[in-house]
This record gives sequence, C-alpha cells and structure tokens, in this order.
Amino acid sequence: MTTSEPSRDTESGDQRVWQRDFPIPAAGEEEITRREFVRYLALGSGGLAVASLGLAAWTSLTDPPAREPKEIAPLADIPVGGERLFRYPTPDDPAILLRPAEDDLRAFSQRCTHLACVVVWEPEEGRLLCPCHHGTFDAGDGRVLAGPPERPLSPIALEVRDGMVWAVGGGGH
Amino acid sequence: MPAGEPSRTATAGRAGAARRTARRTISSIVGVFVLVIVSLQLFLLMVGLDAVTTHADGLAWVAAAASTVLTASAAFLYRYLRRSHRR
Repeated sequence: MTTSEPSRDTESGDQRVWQRDFPIPAAGEEEITRREFVRYLALGSGGLAVASLGLAAWTSLTDPPAREPKEIAPLADIPVGGERLFRYPTPDDPAILLRPAEDDLRAFSQRCTHLACVVVWEPEEGRLLCPCHHGTFDAGDGRVLAGPPERPLSPIALEVRDGMVWAVGGGGH
Repeated sequence: MPAGEPSRTATAGRAGAARRTARRTISSIVGVFVLVIVSLQLFLLMVGLDAVTTHADGLAWVAAAASTVLTASAAFLYRYLRRSHRR
C-alpha cells in the first residue's frame, strides 16, 4: 500500500471505506434498541407533561371572556314561536334566542356540549336538536334529553329593556 | 486443561444467555409500561385542552399534575432499565 492510498478505516464522506466496499447492511443494523425506545418515550412523556403544565398556566393566566350585556334584537322583531340567532358572549360563541310564547323568552349557547356542533330548535317537539350526533336538549331549560351529550346547554340570562332584548350573562361553553 | 474447566464455561455461558433473555424481557415490559404512561398523558393533554376552552383552571392543573406524576414514573422506569443493563 502506498502512502497516498486511504487506510481501511479512513472515512470517505459519510461512509467508512469498508462500508463502501461491502454495502450490505446487517439485519437489524438500523433498528433502535429497546432501551433507546424507552428513552425516547420518556423524553416524549416529559414533553407532554410540560405541555400540560403550559396549558394549565395558560388557563390560569387568561381571563374568561367578559360577560358584558349585549343587545340582541327588538322584542317586536321576534315572532311568537320564532327564534333569533346571535353571538354571545364573544363573536365566536353562537347562541339562540327562542320565543315559544308571547311572554316566554329563552336563550342558550348554540354549541352542543358533545362536540360543539350548533343545535337547531324544533318548536313542535319542544327541543333543541344537534344534527351531528342527534343529541337533544330540552328547549325549556337546556337539559339533555337524549344522545351523547352529558352536560346541558349553557343558558343565557335575558332582560327586556325599553322593548329591546338584551343578553346579560351566562352562555359560552 | 484441568478437568471440570469446560463444564464451568458451559454453565457460565448458559447463565449469561439466561441473563440476556431476562434483560430483554425486562426491557420489553418496561417499554410497554412507558408506552401506556405516554398514552395516558396524551389523554390528559386532551383534558387540558378541553379545560382551556372552558376556562376550568382546576381541571387543567389536576391534569397537569397527573401528567407530571406519570412523567416521573416513566423517568423512574427508564432509570431502572439503565441500572439493570449496567449490572
């Protein structure tokens, strides 16, 4: 062997010379060991714990959306047996106002408590139906009548001020 | 070669093989445990996300605390595995 020739152990790029000469990997050469696998899992576990702590801190540091009173519609514009959709308490929270009788006004968050699809009113049945998974809620108090939801719809407190209907609290998730 | 030497070597070889098999079994069991732990933590992360959307601080902290305990368990199991490999 001359001095200019590379030795058998010299690395050429990313490959050792013997790997270039014999480019057939051994069975399982690329596999990670069980111990390495557990190490990666433990590291992932740490990451998940940090993410959970971060979420908890975020929840504590952020304030829930303010429940400022909000105008919905003039009472005269809401027919008896009719409904009015609005957003409360934030523009991202769909809500539904029901008027089943002349002096009866009710409002609920329109988000189904199962997977947040919007519910629709079925006046003849006296219930609110979620078309996604057929969860049904009582149109009187928002309690669950059937289907997968486990929590009632969030009710919204209403007030009528000078012929105008206002949402004054509740709602959201 | 003194008499008895080959049988001693054979016994040592068998013991070594048994030890390696035991180590592999322990590694697998620990791996499965840690996998279950990580799965539980994924569930707890989903609970945490739900708590964020509903502003349920208490629920979020309970989920985070449980996740931290599970991480400690995973770390303990990994440490145990490293120690058992060194022995």
